[in-house]
Amino acid sequence: MNVSAGSYESNDCLITLEPAAELECIIHSVVKEQFGEQIELVLKQTLAGHNITHVKLVINDKGALDYTIKARLETAIRRMRDLDE
Amino acid sequence: MTKKPIIFSYKQLPEEIDIHDFKNISFHHHLRNGDTVLNNVLQIYENEHVKKLNLFPSAIFPAYTKILDLLKNNQINGITTNYMNGPVADYLSHQPLPGKITMQTHGGRARRILNNQTTLDIAYIASPYVDPYGNAIGYKGKSVFGSMGYAIADAQKAKIVVLITDKLIDTKLEDPEIDGSYVDYILQVDSIGDTQGIVSGTTQITTNPIGVKIAKQTTSLIKELGLLKNGFSFQSGAGGISLRVTENLKEEMVHLGITASFFSGGITQYHVDMLEAGLVDKLYDVQCFDLAAINSLRKNTNHMPISASVYANPEDPNQVIKDLDIVILGATEIDYDFNVNVTTDSHGKIIGGSGGHSDTASESKVSIIVSPLIRSRIPLIKERVTTITTLGKHIDCLVTERGIAINPKRQDLIDKLSKTNLPLKTIKQLQEEAFKYTKQPKKLKKYDTMIGDIQDRTNKIIDHLYKK
Amino acid sequence: MSRSFLFLPGNNPGSLQNLDIFNADSIIIDLEDSVTFDTKDEARDLVYHFLSKFMFKTPSIYLRINDISTPFFNDDIDVLDSLEFKGYVLPKATKESVISLSKKTDKSIIALLETPMSLVKSEAIISLKQVDAVLLGAEDLTTAMKIESTVSRQEITYVRSKLALECAAHETLFIDTPYTDKDDLAQLKNDCLQAKILGANAKSIIHPNHVDVVNTVFSPTTHQIANAKRILKKAETHQKGAFNLDGKMIDKPIINRAKNLIAQAKKYQLL
Repeated sequence: MNVSAGSYESNDCLITLEPAAELECIIHSVVKEQFGEQIELVLKQTLAGHNITHVKLVINDKGALDYTIKARLETAIRRMRDLDE
Repeated sequence: MTKKPIIFSYKQLPEEIDIHDFKNISFHHHLRNGDTVLNNVLQIYENEHVKKLNLFPSAIFPAYTKILDLLKNNQINGITTNYMNGPVADYLSHQPLPGKITMQTHGGRARRILNNQTTLDIAYIASPYVDPYGNAIGYKGKSVFGSMGYAIADAQKAKIVVLITDKLIDTKLEDPEIDGSYVDYILQVDSIGDTQGIVSGTTQITTNPIGVKIAKQTTSLIKELGLLKNGFSFQSGAGGISLRVTENLKEEMVHLGITASFFSGGITQYHVDMLEAGLVDKLYDVQCFDLAAINSLRKNTNHMPISASVYANPEDPNQVIKDLDIVILGATEIDYDFNVNVTTDSHGKIIGGSGGHSDTASESKVSIIVSPLIRSRIPLIKERVTTITTLGKHIDCLVTERGIAINPKRQDLIDKLSKTNLPLKTIKQLQEEAFKYTKQPKKLKKYDTMIGDIQDRTNKIIDHLYKK
Repeated sequence: MSRSFLFLPGNNPGSLQNLDIFNADSIIIDLEDSVTFDTKDEARDLVYHFLSKFMFKTPSIYLRINDISTPFFNDDIDVLDSLEFKGYVLPKATKESVISLSKKTDKSIIALLETPMSLVKSEAIISLKQVDAVLLGAEDLTTAMKIESTVSRQEITYVRSKLALECAAHETLFIDTPYTDKDDLAQLKNDCLQAKILGANAKSIIHPNHVDVVNTVFSPTTHQIANAKRILKKAETHQKGAFNLDGKMIDKPIINRAKNLIAQAKKYQLL
């Protein structure tokens, strides 16, 4: 079962999580050339903060700033955990 | 005056004209995205397998897809234009031409045609209202588009001039925009396009709060610079923020009881309303952006169609914009030296071009760039723009939602503003403010396969286009 | 001391990250009506991370949380209260819900009065210590009363007057209901003037393009500023208290009011 948070609208991003054998981050972004690495860093740090290592994460980004990416991922993580319980 | 030969269909074209021999062909873009003439004419070139064409459309819009077919058939050698957007621009960003892309300005294009630096073999001129002598106007007919400004130089200088029309009248036209003495053929067709297509999404006044804020700051800036006085002249273009500035100025003018001498360039409903309200004496119209502008051009003698040369050719003694006080312009990027890019996006993809940008910035007493500081995480301000459309020496002010930067070369303006409440910042300070939100973007690798030139209006090559 | 309270939707990053450019004296980040039920957690997380990252000296930041009858009320406060912001806007406020909220936070509270009963019992709410301001929510009120909203806003004359009087009595700010037509700035101005005449101190706003009009109407006028300056100048030479100016008696309350007005004018850069 996968969960998602956010939206594919300007300045926002849509993040989807689903259980997986290992950690995988797939980044689609209108600013991937300029900020792809930064987006990946924020995602991986946030996941590490929750000790999440077995998940497939897909982000569809339309220019979200770091705080938005982090917030959307936090929401998705909580929704995933709520689903597990 | 003799009658002109009339051609009755596109199919007859190759019988009348040796289209294989005359490679340099031009079009105008007045019907913008509603134009069907360019596609229909080029269909003939495709059918006849004409090779090594050099296209000189004054601009290329998304609907001009026949160019794409010719590109794929390898029929095109070079393209010279002032603006391009859509699938053709996308394609050209990735696929080099055998020749090259040359990006010009509206004034520069007219200048080069008129002083014979550009040789046009055939000018195909979509014309809404034509008499049997080849005289034409743009503001009457079935498929009206208003001013024919961008086609005038082509008509005067091309070796062969073909008017394409869907309204051929019997009587002689007085005061035509295109003088029939230059015209060789009239091609009569069912339709030259759809008038509705001239209205694009950008010609609407913005209600976006960030745009509204920028417009407000710009209006304050114009006031504080002392430019808002009786008889001033102004050009706003048709961008949403620029139109909002126009609206704000209107309120100020009514409040102050002053009037403007002229507005120039692309004309919209907003400019027409001010003409009709007596707030401006004359509209010098090189291009109509909506139906209200066309209607006004038809009935109001103070709303005058002008050619691209009279508009912006630096060698034209009647050049209108040399008397321009204020111009409001957009930017996709601006750099530390105030160079502006409206030609490519930050990834190097072609998305536009100068049009009148660098012409008006060069001539206007004060040029003002209006733009959001950040668009989808991409900061407006860079150390160096991806492509220079207009040199920084012609750009005086930048207005964003987070402050105003004045080009240090304009110390006179900085002095005037020093005692005001305006949020003045250096361009680097503004960039730092943007980075607080976006973080610093990674520098993209510079592409190295040159595919075209950016010419300014004085014929100088000021930058190049590179294959993405 | 604010003239304008601009609502911005809490789940919209584009609005949040531009909240300081609209010239509003205060911003109300909304977690209630502009956020759908299934995105309440998204909005809360977004606002949390936004306010953790960005600090503002101006404008003042308020959060409109969800009302006490919802499961989101406690979550909103528990997650967000530790952050740096000025206070809460409490929707469907009652005396009991304000007290409940005040037990959970030391931040200031703006009570949003929007039900008939809350307006009947408004003074009991206004008199509570932590209530720094009340905001009239006329749309919900008129809907509950089954009356039409009119352009002239005649239907809310009484509640405006009632709140103005009670707020004045308890030295609490009275924030008027927002004007809802995005494009009609002329009528917005009339609406502001009407509210000001009846005693409103400020106005809430639901579109950024309304801020300038609201700020202008609720600013001291140049005439008021000039007068206050004259009063203060003369007061300097009359250390003993009351004196005469233009045939009017000037005493301590009037001098204090002049001082406040000048302080306001300074804050709003009108001097």
